[in-house]
Amino acid sequence: MSKPESESEPTPDEYGTAQSESEFESDPVEAFDDAIDMDLRSGADDCYKCSTCDTSCPVAEVDDEFPGPKFQGPEQWRLKRGDDHDIDPSITDCSNCMRCDNACPSSVPLSQMHNTARGEYVEGLAPSLWNAEDAIADGEYREALSYLGDIPAELSIEFVRNRVLSNYGTMAGLGSKFPRLTNFVMSNRITKEVNDRLLGITGERDFPEFADQTFREWWRERGGPKVESADKRVAYFHGDYSNYNTPEVAKAMVRVYERFGYEIRVPTQRCSGTPMFANGMLRDARRAAEVNVTNLGDFIDRGYDVIASCTSCSMALRQEYPELFDFEETEKVSVHTYEALEYLRIHEDLEGELRDVKDVEFPDLAYHAPCHARNQGISTQAVELLSEAEGFEIEDVGDSCSGISGTYGWKTEKYDKSMQIGEDMFEHMRDAEGDTGLTECPTCAMQMGHGTGYEIRHPLEVLEAALVN
Amino acid sequence: MSSHTDHHSRTGVVVIGGGSTGCGIARDLAMRGISVTLVERGNLTHGTTGRMHGLLHSGGRYAVADQESAKECIQETRVLDRIASHCVEMTGGLFAKLPADEEEYFQEKLQGCRDCNIPAEVLSGEEARELEPHLSPEVEKAIWVPDGAIDPFRLCVANAADADRHGGRIETHAPVTDLVVEDDAVVGVKVRHESGPGKRVHGKEGETEEIRADYVVNATGAWAGHVGEMAGLDIEVRPSKGVMTIMNVRQVDTVVNRCKPKGDADIVVPHETTCILGTTDEEVDDPDDYPEEQWEVDLMIDELSQLVPMLEDARTIRSYWGVRPLYEPPDTGTTDPTDISRQFFLLDHDERDDLGGMTSIVGGKFTTYRLMAEKISDHVCEQLGVSTRCETAEEALPGSEDFSVLRDYMDEFGLRSPIGKRSVQRLGSKADEVLKTGEPNPVICTCEAVTRAELRDAIGGSGTDLNAVRLRTRASMGNCQGGFCCHRMASELYPTHDESVVRESLDELYQERWKGQRHALWGEQLSQAMLNHALHATTMNRDRDPAKGSSAVEYADFDAGPGPAVDADGSTRATADGGVPDGGVSNESVTDESVSSGDGGDDAAGGTRGDQ
Repeated sequence: MSKPESESEPTPDEYGTAQSESEFESDPVEAFDDAIDMDLRSGADDCYKCSTCDTSCPVAEVDDEFPGPKFQGPEQWRLKRGDDHDIDPSITDCSNCMRCDNACPSSVPLSQMHNTARGEYVEGLAPSLWNAEDAIADGEYREALSYLGDIPAELSIEFVRNRVLSNYGTMAGLGSKFPRLTNFVMSNRITKEVNDRLLGITGERDFPEFADQTFREWWRERGGPKVESADKRVAYFHGDYSNYNTPEVAKAMVRVYERFGYEIRVPTQRCSGTPMFANGMLRDARRAAEVNVTNLGDFIDRGYDVIASCTSCSMALRQEYPELFDFEETEKVSVHTYEALEYLRIHEDLEGELRDVKDVEFPDLAYHAPCHARNQGISTQAVELLSEAEGFEIEDVGDSCSGISGTYGWKTEKYDKSMQIGEDMFEHMRDAEGDTGLTECPTCAMQMGHGTGYEIRHPLEVLEAALVN
Repeated sequence: MSSHTDHHSRTGVVVIGGGSTGCGIARDLAMRGISVTLVERGNLTHGTTGRMHGLLHSGGRYAVADQESAKECIQETRVLDRIASHCVEMTGGLFAKLPADEEEYFQEKLQGCRDCNIPAEVLSGEEARELEPHLSPEVEKAIWVPDGAIDPFRLCVANAADADRHGGRIETHAPVTDLVVEDDAVVGVKVRHESGPGKRVHGKEGETEEIRADYVVNATGAWAGHVGEMAGLDIEVRPSKGVMTIMNVRQVDTVVNRCKPKGDADIVVPHETTCILGTTDEEVDDPDDYPEEQWEVDLMIDELSQLVPMLEDARTIRSYWGVRPLYEPPDTGTTDPTDISRQFFLLDHDERDDLGGMTSIVGGKFTTYRLMAEKISDHVCEQLGVSTRCETAEEALPGSEDFSVLRDYMDEFGLRSPIGKRSVQRLGSKADEVLKTGEPNPVICTCEAVTRAELRDAIGGSGTDLNAVRLRTRASMGNCQGGFCCHRMASELYPTHDESVVRESLDELYQERWKGQRHALWGEQLSQAMLNHALHATTMNRDRDPAKGSSAVEYADFDAGPGPAVDADGSTRATADGGVPDGGVSNESVTDESVSSGDGGDDAAGGTRGDQ
């Protein structure tokens, strides 16, 4: 951990409500030349065509129409000529689980290729939609209408649906202002049917409930950090989900870290971009990433490391940002970011602390490793830690993908495939001894609960229950 | 030379050589209504044409030293962009100046282009890098010219197909064994129709034929001297070799030339999915036998990395050498082959050597092949008293008639868009006819996006010669160099052709793929080669070929399923798929006989082989 350079006054924007401004607001993005104009053809040099990526792709396993990561990545890129922009629409069937990255024996930048191709596809498909949006932002409504006029309804609905899903934080920001009303409306059968029919958001799933109080509201009310430290300092990237839906995970992180003497700061932040990458909304992702990189970068300069409690958030900051964007501090943020449990295991003797703890709240656990944990090399951390502790029985339910992959399993046309992919995991959970599910990823947790009816916890919650009074 | 001849035939004109010039002549003469027979010792483009870097010259390269050639180039580039659009990609070209390159030469180049009516525009270093982002930051400025890329295989095949459509006869794998000379005139040629894998469907295999003609054209380029010798003629071609190194991907989408007087390793040509680095220029004695040396490949990468730095660490997939058919009139006395003119020469052997009935065409270059063909066809027509006009500059080649690559690939062809697009780019106006078969159309070569329908069409044109099929389609020319598709290509020959023909055709293709990879065996391509070898060794037993063993493979053993196979004599034997034979024969008692015979006891390999 790096040394602090000055006293630790919170930055003025630390308590700001991150999502107070609309995410649909159009920030001027002058030079949009990094992700979409990127030439990744040379990445195909690393591909030996061995097809290991295809065999590890959970979508290809259940969707015979999906050509697989090798085609989507190195093959499609290699076939490109300079100004070709015809990306095959099948790129939108990739769930962005990124297992292919981990599977490739030759370091082909598969997910980078997929993300950029998807961005290019959406950009090419929907220029009129983007133009319309820009026109609306500028108050040019007549112009906006003229753009919208020449788009087939089907296309614009899918675009809007993907836009809504990938900008979850915006919707959640509005919804959590009136959490009870929103929860009532969203769980209403009619709402579900309307969502399903009109927007293509499946009605099979229960919409995640909004907490009565967001994590940031709680944090502000609490008066920020209770512990100050000159050398143990973390800046917390909570992401949208633990802010709006599962503040108990964020609070668990705060209590556990403070127990170990860490000073915690909660920088102003926006969505990590994960759902935006998965839907090709690179413009949105870029805007969000710029805010995050700038704010987190400031904290890193003052001696903080960045921790995230969601494995997809830490994945985005560590791998996707440097692969897709070229902000000044992208690399710095990347190398200073950790997943919350990973960071504690590096710096504290968690095994020792847990060794003699008995009578824990969640003694029997069935753990699922999120795909995005796999790429960070931390897919076994929870099992390694808790299997050594006397108070716990923990079982890994296997290395399959949960199938939801963020927004993928929320799409009406993908729902069945999502459940088919998850079937292995559901079965293994049912067979496992544990009666509480455990995972770091909020959408994996959704899928685990949806497929099995189990209660699902985050490792930080388990630690909190075991180590904090 | 045996005096026995199996067949005799008669034609108007025999054209020897199936390269760009020969195919161009055959098309030109056939379009003028003359009966023409083209004979080629290998497949089309077997000689120099198939071993060039695919540059369609704007003429910029010759604009200082050889303005006559430069003017022809710009004129012919415009013609080809019109008549051969499905073979041409107008990429544009740059002459990039590095700090070490002379400013004076840059100005001469610019002036030369203007003198020759080659559109030329000066770009700043920044502008050049905006066009080609991987260009070195050292590049100070560049001249943009309308260079392009051309696929020589497709071009020759289209010319030959058009000659065929106009009544011409194309004979590949038919080397000329002798010129027939009577009364101080060449009156025909003797050819041998070669038999062997990939060749037997052509001509009458293993037989000889005497083709009598009113006139013979020797369009064999670097081999013109060899043909001339058959009639005691002395044709002083000066073959000069050059290396070309193929990169796995396109680092540039514009032709990039170094702006300095002609020298080694000064050009990068984007060609289909790859970039081709070229070249050297070194005189050789024998166009069929010259050394291919690694230093030549290293030179390409080292030198051209100065222009495009990422080439230094980029993957090369193979290298090949070609032989230029340079010629200069006797007594010119040029010592350095780079100084020999790229002009072409018609050698009428009647005027030159008092031997009538034959003209040789030597020198010249690919870009002006059509013009050369026109000139020699005019000359032949004059000899034959035919006055029909040449129309090859106006009539589009088959495949290049009106077509657009902007199609809905999925709706129209059921193909993913990059696959559909590449297919349509290759097939041009033939796309609908070839791709819309109404049958399942899987991708056979995934590197180059070649589907079964396109392969079958090529097999229809080339027969069992899978190397010719490869050249027509680009199948097996991508980064795995056939490791994952050679066998899939070969299986398209079955069951029209027997297993032994299919196997030999496969071997021939697989061998050819190795040939060029020998010069790329480091880094990624070495890994690829090892993976290819391991896969083929373990699944097709290539490390120990059972077909080369003393006894024939008992296919019935493999295909009989879980029941016992029955031999010709009625006895039963174990099945190779692990099934337990019934009929009272225990598995153990027959293991020795059935498993260890032939293939070293590798049961798994045998089983897979049976599935071929």
